[in-house]
Amino acid sequence: MNSSRNFLILIIFTLLFSAPFVSLARADESNDVKKELQELKQMMKQMQNRIEDLEDRNKVLEQQAKEKEKPAKEETIVVEEQEVVESQETDLTVIEQPAQGNQNFLTKTLNYFNPQVSVVGIFSAAYYSENNPIVFAENDPENTGVNLQEIEVGFQAAVDSYFRFDLFLSFSTEGVELEEAYATTLLTLPLNSQFRIGRARAKFGRINQMHRDAQNFVTLPLPAAQFLGEHLNPTSIEANFLVPVPWYLELSASGGSPDVETPTFDRDNDANDIGRLLYIFHIANFFELSESLGVSLGGSFATGSNGTASGERSNLYGIDLFAKYRPLRDNPYQELMFQSEFMYLDAQTPEETLENWGWYSQLVYRFAKRWNSGFRFGIIDTNTPVQEEAEGGEEEASIFTAIRNEEGEEEGMLGLLGRTYRISPMLTFNPTEFSRIRVQYDYLNQDFAENQHAIFLQFQYAIGAHGAHPF
Amino acid sequence: MKKLKSIQTFTITITILFITMCILGHNALAQVQIVTSTPDFSAIAKDIGGDKVEVVSLAKGYQDPHFVDAKPIFVTKLNQADLIIYNGLELESGWLPLLITGARNSDILAGNATGHFDVSLSIKNKLEVHSAPVDRSMGDIHPGGNPHFMLDPRNGIPVARGIAARLIQIDPDNAKFYEENFDNFISTLKLKISEWEAELAQFEGTEVVTYHKLWIYFTTWAGFKEVGTIEPKPGIPPTPSHIASLIKRMQSLDVQLIISANYYPRKTPEIIAQKTGATSLILPTMVNGQEGINTYSQLFDALVGEITSALKNKGN
Repeated sequence: MNSSRNFLILIIFTLLFSAPFVSLARADESNDVKKELQELKQMMKQMQNRIEDLEDRNKVLEQQAKEKEKPAKEETIVVEEQEVVESQETDLTVIEQPAQGNQNFLTKTLNYFNPQVSVVGIFSAAYYSENNPIVFAENDPENTGVNLQEIEVGFQAAVDSYFRFDLFLSFSTEGVELEEAYATTLLTLPLNSQFRIGRARAKFGRINQMHRDAQNFVTLPLPAAQFLGEHLNPTSIEANFLVPVPWYLELSASGGSPDVETPTFDRDNDANDIGRLLYIFHIANFFELSESLGVSLGGSFATGSNGTASGERSNLYGIDLFAKYRPLRDNPYQELMFQSEFMYLDAQTPEETLENWGWYSQLVYRFAKRWNSGFRFGIIDTNTPVQEEAEGGEEEASIFTAIRNEEGEEEGMLGLLGRTYRISPMLTFNPTEFSRIRVQYDYLNQDFAENQHAIFLQFQYAIGAHGAHPF
Repeated sequence: MKKLKSIQTFTITITILFITMCILGHNALAQVQIVTSTPDFSAIAKDIGGDKVEVVSLAKGYQDPHFVDAKPIFVTKLNQADLIIYNGLELESGWLPLLITGARNSDILAGNATGHFDVSLSIKNKLEVHSAPVDRSMGDIHPGGNPHFMLDPRNGIPVARGIAARLIQIDPDNAKFYEENFDNFISTLKLKISEWEAELAQFEGTEVVTYHKLWIYFTTWAGFKEVGTIEPKPGIPPTPSHIASLIKRMQSLDVQLIISANYYPRKTPEIIAQKTGATSLILPTMVNGQEGINTYSQLFDALVGEITSALKNKGN
């Protein structure tokens, strides 16, 4: 600033000194020059005044900004909330004034490159009519009392322009499980293919692809719990093909290792035989019958060794149906959803070939924006277990053994005999998209055990990144 | 053996389907395929692209754009798309990201500026930008700014510019066509804007109550003053106590107008209108939100028309 001012003054002085010489030559012109000089001087003064003015204003603004920043930094979140509430009541335009320059470059950069983090906590208060209740899935409420069902921590981000990576850790009372950790290809590939590499919930049926927080009931459907376990999530390479037909048709094939505990599949002792890995095939169709009604129909097939002895296989077949009716024009926040899956297992064991089946159907009616009600029926028919329960299932094992003993069967064999069905009505209230309160009653009817009643009050909370909801 | 056979037939079926895919797959489509999240963008894209483009909107005009089902069929549309146009500012974060991931289409990924148009990035006059810390106890807040900027007709201009610029890159053969359409669109829209502004001028300073913080761009442009919302916080349904205090407030300020989107519950605004004597208007918020609204200009013809006629009636 000073240098430019000096420069201007210098020019004016040179002009002033040169003026008399010029006037000697041309008296007429000198007047003009004088005028110009005066104008210039005036301009200079104006400019100086302006600059001073601006400087003053700047100072005032800076002070104001400092004053604004101080309380915002020092006071806690509570105060901010109060401010928001107060200003909402008085004038709605006040809060939204953008306070500029609060985020510095570093925090912005960090936020940009961090993966999206989300945390979901699911807790259930439960009452069971039996002392040692029969629980089918790992993350179902374990016993009478308040149960931690699952804490799920998710990290998701694009790796680069070719892949994205999704990681989900599941914390429960039994410890931490790597629920999912897989890369997905993003780019255009031949045959409209997309690959998923890593550990992922397998594309087998519908419920297996849904995380707990997206499910509609407190407990996992019987056939899913019986045949897939809490979830079937082998580490594998999965290829998905989108077939160019007028409707949505996706074919999936995956091959990998069931390196996690599953009730149906296990590593074969002869691990070098590629034919004895776990292979899963899935076909998914979606038909948009009208803007309000969509139906998806799928078929699944999984085959792999079951670990009872080398070379023994299990084949699991599945059919899934899902229909959603949402009258967009008339009642945009009401929905009626029907979901049903059938599973059939044939498992070879050294002694015999087992043939088990199961099926569930559920109807969920969202009668208001925040309210869901639903009813589910599930049934499984099993003759003998495929494999022994691993650690953690000891409690259940003892019950089953006792049942077996009563029935005069041979000792040491685990698992349920005969037919079991369960009826579950539920009611859900979602205060927002991020929290949920659910009440559910389960009536369990079993061939070889006491009938069991259960009441659940489930609470679910989600923080962090806003997840997208699959259809 | 039987099982082996069944596996064999399964594999054969899959192979046959692959071959069909090879034959059918990604046939060169003459028109530029555009997929938009909401019908506002598809209407503008149609105006600029004319018959050289094929445009599909995923959300319907009469649907709440926050809550759209991520139907798998949308994946097939995005799979074929040359250009995705969406609002941004987390308006579609509940459904669009999954679809883009599933689309397996490099052209429309976020890294590709030509095929991926996040409209919010080209909007300069964003409102309600939260740079101070926010959390969800404040309701369903969009930290980057209120996402409903398409309700200010002046924002149609940067959208049109963005679309035209992208179409020229995607389909340079028809560059002149797009430029002409863009010029026409802009001049018509600018003319219309001055007409609407003239109509609204007499009602400057009108105090209004809205249902959701959806109208802030419209009211700011129209020179109205939003003095309250029926929702206590964004996305939270109204409570009786909040409505009672809102009615009191409206009575003390003598608020004459309530505006609400046509996909929100209609009873509450009506009840408030009855108690306060204000007029409740249920209005479309997007193109195709109502019969007869097929272009971006028609949307504002309807909005400005309904609001000014309601206010004129009040004045009499």
